Amino acid sequence: MTRVELDAALARLGLDVPERERQELVGAVGYVAEMARLVKKPRWVGAEPAHTVAFPIGAFPSGAFPEK
Amino acid sequence: MVPDFLTIAEAATLIEKRELSPVELTQSRLDRIEKLDGQLHSFIRVLPDEARAAARAAEAEIAAGRYRGPLHGIPIGLKDIYETKGIPTTGHSKVMQNHVPAADAFSVAKLKDAGCVVMGKLATHEFAFGGPSFDLPWPPARNPWDTTRFTGGSSSGTGAAVPAGLVLGGTGSDTGGSIRGPAAYCGLAGIKPSYGLVSRAGILPLAFSLDHAGPMAWTAEDCAIMLQAMAGHDPADPASANRPIPDYRKALSGDVKGLRIGLIRHFYTTDNKADATTRDAIDSAAKKFAEMGAEVREITLSPLAEWAACGVLIMMTEAYAIHEANLRTRFTDFGEIFRDRMALAGLWTAADYVQATRRRRELVDELDRAMATLDLVMTAAAPSEAPKIDEVPKFAIMERPSLTMPFNVTGSPAMAVCCGFTEAGLPLSFQVVGRRFADATVLRAADAYERATPWRARRPPL
Repeated sequence: MTRVELDAALARLGLDVPERERQELVGAVGYVAEMARLVKKPRWVGAEPAHTVAFPIGAFPSGAFPEK
Repeated sequence: MVPDFLTIAEAATLIEKRELSPVELTQSRLDRIEKLDGQLHSFIRVLPDEARAAARAAEAEIAAGRYRGPLHGIPIGLKDIYETKGIPTTGHSKVMQNHVPAADAFSVAKLKDAGCVVMGKLATHEFAFGGPSFDLPWPPARNPWDTTRFTGGSSSGTGAAVPAGLVLGGTGSDTGGSIRGPAAYCGLAGIKPSYGLVSRAGILPLAFSLDHAGPMAWTAEDCAIMLQAMAGHDPADPASANRPIPDYRKALSGDVKGLRIGLIRHFYTTDNKADATTRDAIDSAAKKFAEMGAEVREITLSPLAEWAACGVLIMMTEAYAIHEANLRTRFTDFGEIFRDRMALAGLWTAADYVQATRRRRELVDELDRAMATLDLVMTAAAPSEAPKIDEVPKFAIMERPSLTMPFNVTGSPAMAVCCGFTEAGLPLSFQVVGRRFADATVLRAADAYERATPWRARRPPL
């Protein structure tokens, strides 16, 4: 991401980032791209997200979720 | 004369036998705070009047024969993201420095019901994420083993106050390692319980799906005592599990015979390469478990960077959503570290977040499969001793993959356990991790290790 692209992204977010900090952010945006790359794996189209983690049966008060 | 250092279990025994007065114990901690906290900055608000009143009430109850249990009359501190009725709860941030909650957090109420004496509010990284920061209304906490060193974060005040003997235990929260990091760098015990075991209601959030609340104390036994009080179903927390709470202290059998432990060595030898002293200390701890009768074998999981990317992406985007309105209108009221990390978080897309949650499901399944024939896994809690406090990079959490984040991703109970010291006298630590809701097994292994090794006898040279 170039400095111009970063400025545009921050403007879209509505963040008033001081000039000195923008220079540092340009140097760190690579981490954002790398992490986004790492979570994208070839996977079946129907592979579900984890909303949190799998809840054990009976984890919720009676009636909140039907138990299988 | 009250000793400088007592565990919760030791103090509780003396209090129950009426050989130690909660009032004298509390005053001795207030004196110690007065003497030492100018160096440590572990408290951002001390509550001497409230603490003395609570101690007097505890003493009167005990004298009347109404002893509540091992936390009755015990001085503790609360990380300043735990809401306290009528007492400011700031998140260590200018943004919330005037926030006075109308009620105690669920877990705070439970600790008070158990008889704890709240000594005050403890330092944290800003909103449990940005730190160590020098541009906030309060200074960052300092490591009691060497005050030029970092405490780890974000439960930095608890990490400093417990080893220094300012309190006997305290609360922490852990979204990517914020209990286990300070526990590792400051040499105390800290457990991130299973997700859903301790209510998050009334605790300022960092990231809803990764936040865990839990205890930090000098020993695993003390953590078990505190966890017993903190755990339990709370309808106000939508992720709170409604299940029986075992007797954690009773589970501390003192042995690990027959436990099957998987050692995730590549996390700290390759993926986030620990220094030689740390590697040796963890390998020695694994060997110790084997000598004690556990079956230890090395296992391999996906590279640590993949676990860390999944957790950090989810954590930072959820945090951005929480703070978005204030970031737009009060950006420079946040500390520089917090706000700049949040600016990066805003660059991820909604699709990136969903992909991370899909990866999360895969990683949860992966650990479950690996643990199908294991009771515990263990790995490093940190790659080295505590660094200098002024040498922590602003984007540290993105530069090197976190050793603690994998078990936030999976919601597993995970504990930092001290396993030695460097030549300079700085603590080293490993993590022991259990199956979800097998917190008692984690505490059992940690307690047995502590009893079999000399590390709990050493305290900071303050």
